[in-house]
Amino acid sequence: MRRLSSCFALLAFVTAIACQSAQGAPDEVRRSLVRIQAVAQNPDYAVPWNTGQVIQGVGAGFVIEGNRIMTNAHVVSNARFIALTKEGDPNPYPAKVLHIAHDCDLAILEPINPAFFDGMTALPFRDALPAIESTVMVYGYPIGGERLSVTRGIVSRIDFQEYSHSGADAHLVIQIDAAINPGNSGGPVMQDGKVVGVAFQGYSGDVAQSTGYMIPTSVALRFLRDIEDGQYDNYVDLALTYYPLFNPAARAALGLQQDGLGVMVGTVFGGGSADGIVKSGDVIVALDGNPVASDGTVKMDGSDLAMSEIVERKFKGEKVDLKVIRDGQPLDLTVALNEPFPFTLYANAYDVRPRYVLFAGLLFQPLDQNFLSSARIENQRTRYYFDHFLADNLYKERPEIVILSNILSDPVNAYAAEFRQGIVDTINGESIKKLDDVAAAFAKPAEYYVIEFLGASRPLVLEAEAVTASRDRILTRYGVRADANLKP
Amino acid sequence: MNRRPLPFALITALPVLVAGLLHAGTTPPPTPTPEPVVEKPAGPSTASIVRVNSTNQAFNFTRPWVKRPPYTRRGIGVILEGGRVLVTSELVGNQSYVELENPVTFEKSTADVVRVDYEANLALIKPQDDAFLASAIAATLAPTAAVGDTIEILQIEPNGSAARTPGVITTISVANYPADGIGLLTYKLSVPLQFRDNSFTVPAFLDGQLAGILMRYDARSQTAELIPSPVISAFLERAKTEPYQSFPRAGIAFSPTRDPQFRRYLGMNGEKNGVYVASVQHGSAAAKIGVKKGDVLLEVGGFPLDQDGNYENPQFGKIPFGHIIATENLPGGTLPIKILRDGELLDFDLPLEPRDPTAVISESFIMDRQPRYYVLGGIIFQELSRPFLREWGSDWKSEAPQRLVFLDEFQDELPPNRGKIVFLNQVLPADLTLGYEQIGPIVVERINDRPIRRLEDVAEAVKSPIDGFHKIEFDSDPKVIFLDASLVEATADELRQAYDLPALNNL
Repeated sequence: MRRLSSCFALLAFVTAIACQSAQGAPDEVRRSLVRIQAVAQNPDYAVPWNTGQVIQGVGAGFVIEGNRIMTNAHVVSNARFIALTKEGDPNPYPAKVLHIAHDCDLAILEPINPAFFDGMTALPFRDALPAIESTVMVYGYPIGGERLSVTRGIVSRIDFQEYSHSGADAHLVIQIDAAINPGNSGGPVMQDGKVVGVAFQGYSGDVAQSTGYMIPTSVALRFLRDIEDGQYDNYVDLALTYYPLFNPAARAALGLQQDGLGVMVGTVFGGGSADGIVKSGDVIVALDGNPVASDGTVKMDGSDLAMSEIVERKFKGEKVDLKVIRDGQPLDLTVALNEPFPFTLYANAYDVRPRYVLFAGLLFQPLDQNFLSSARIENQRTRYYFDHFLADNLYKERPEIVILSNILSDPVNAYAAEFRQGIVDTINGESIKKLDDVAAAFAKPAEYYVIEFLGASRPLVLEAEAVTASRDRILTRYGVRADANLKP
Repeated sequence: MNRRPLPFALITALPVLVAGLLHAGTTPPPTPTPEPVVEKPAGPSTASIVRVNSTNQAFNFTRPWVKRPPYTRRGIGVILEGGRVLVTSELVGNQSYVELENPVTFEKSTADVVRVDYEANLALIKPQDDAFLASAIAATLAPTAAVGDTIEILQIEPNGSAARTPGVITTISVANYPADGIGLLTYKLSVPLQFRDNSFTVPAFLDGQLAGILMRYDARSQTAELIPSPVISAFLERAKTEPYQSFPRAGIAFSPTRDPQFRRYLGMNGEKNGVYVASVQHGSAAAKIGVKKGDVLLEVGGFPLDQDGNYENPQFGKIPFGHIIATENLPGGTLPIKILRDGELLDFDLPLEPRDPTAVISESFIMDRQPRYYVLGGIIFQELSRPFLREWGSDWKSEAPQRLVFLDEFQDELPPNRGKIVFLNQVLPADLTLGYEQIGPIVVERINDRPIRRLEDVAEAVKSPIDGFHKIEFDSDPKVIFLDASLVEATADELRQAYDLPALNNL
């Protein structure tokens, strides 16, 4: 899934794209389009006490009702400074992020000076999916240009796909054959004077050509409704896996009609919405009254969409009704939807600072997707643990995987190399379930600190006296600014 | 997926070599009748060696009813008393046909493998024609060797003459043999061999006596590793008894105790050295006498161990203690060991027994026998083994299904009564497996509500379908599938013919 390139970074794309002069763009689009310049600082997980690299990027946005600007989350993630410009006004306007949704790659910006909106108009949304083969226009600032660019395309496909910004979320996506390049991100995709999508990602030219992706209005409007109460609550999920039921023997054994309906539940993730309500082996035949076909689709908006779309459009705390067949008997279930926390382990996180504990030159960090941006896991056990964190319900006993990520060499840790990338199991007998436990265990006075790593051949033993003596020496020698950061 | 047979050699791709430089003017030594008493032969004789050609066929572990294409390995066997020929087991592993070839006359004789030990990488073969080696001179074993000794590697030129390359022993230690994770005494040599042809056995001599046979050669660093004469002689000694018992193992994994903070924590003060027991294999000799993780092993067979697990061998100096257990003693009997546990000194008698390869959950090698499998309506069940994982090529640890790699790698952490790991390898699609085409490899937990701990359990469980269906449960998604039992039976022949399977199972 890494093939999807996020459109933020100004890569040297030279793929020719069909550009036409912006002169022909309808007035209301020109009076709504915003060029966004953002300066971001991305943290350095390899040296977590360091300030990160500062990078600059350009994206697009558009004015929506309520004097707000919609853009992609990835345009303004980790931003330290944001400036807006509009057509016909040379002045940049500083702005701030009002709401940001990393799981669906959308954000709402607000200029500091409300005068920015003088002479601008809000674009209306069209609350329906555009038809396949219908024509759409994409507006933005591809490859960083100063002037508005317009490309035309048709709607090629509507399907679920990964949102590469978080890397762990999949929602409905509309594929169009207009090129979408860095700088298009956050720009409106228009049809008949209404917004039908927000341009957000594409493939690099060596993977696929003439494929651009936009966020459909179903996702954008859901985001706007979510933030109506002043905060964004993230997507909700049933937190289960399901499998098609084509096999006649399986259908007969489960007591089902050969009617082409129903999918079988594989894993129900502990702690997720459906935990304790839906069981592995249940057959889901309807969601909120919509019949579920045996390939897991439901009929919505005139097309066959994955049944997840029903849950996708709901909000935290809302309920979904399931009709299932359990042990051959029909059963009506209701699931209250909440956000399944463990999935976030596999999502890129933004606007957070790296958390770590440094003790005796040993660097402890939680293993998550952000950490993996700076390191490759060679340790077989650690890799397995990370990959099966959800599937094996490992997070139940250990919500966070804390590893010895690095060693700042010093006499006190001269024999610790064999433990590198090991998962911390206990410290002085205290079970380590999250990074805070590491800090707490080291804070307790002791003669020895005995660190057990999962599957290690021996415990790592540190003498408290030697650790104390090494502290300032290590901080000075390696230029470490603080020996812990526990706040994201 | 790499479907070629995988060479065992760890250093280079293949221990391919043969024929060093033929020195100009060197004539092959004459082969006269040997003098009645030879105090110390002046040089190794080509009368003690014979070419061995072995045509081998490995099994395909992803399609276990298939033998792979045959390939031929060549080597130079050493003739021992009793008309037996010593070679590496790598040469004759999975053999379909072995022949001996006289290097001078090119006469050939079909041979049989009479004894093979894959852990020690050694095998004995015998020509079917007893007269074939009548004029040969049996080689004798060099009782010992020392670092710095010059050893002569003996190879055969295409015309039958000897090619001799001197090399110097640089290290004597315990190193891993090709079969995974098994350490035995090894001589390391610095020697400039050239290779032109595969050679899976090349003898090395010290003052005319067999010092060892070559196991690996790294052309870049020009270093070779020998299976040394002490290991060979231990093998020959064990080969005398029926049934054959391989080299004894303690079944302990250990960690050095170099870290002074760790030593003080363990209460190891002053002269007390020793190693920290990191894990004890299920059912091993050490497990039987109650050795535990966290023990400190101080002495083995009366020899104190240093912090890295070495002892002072009277012949070879500092070498790992595994040598005492594996090679210096025959199976049977016991060896005294001393252990420090919670500050207390304890004495144990370690039984000397070889490991039982069938007792392990996932076997590290399977040779000379067809992989076991069971086909049920197109679904192929197998037992987890490392050769199966190795089908993913040299990078199998990251390429093969991670769950199976994990179960193989950390099998000692599974409950001792786990049994084998039976998994669904793949599905041969047919009408009755509709929708199951993409499943596998995935671990099977139960069939028809019976726990599956070995392949025989599958055969037994499918005799009792539930309400006419076979219910197959897995440890991960999709968790459960069903087959129509009567349809499985009715279409068995059809399936066998459609996919050209010789048999629907091999137990």
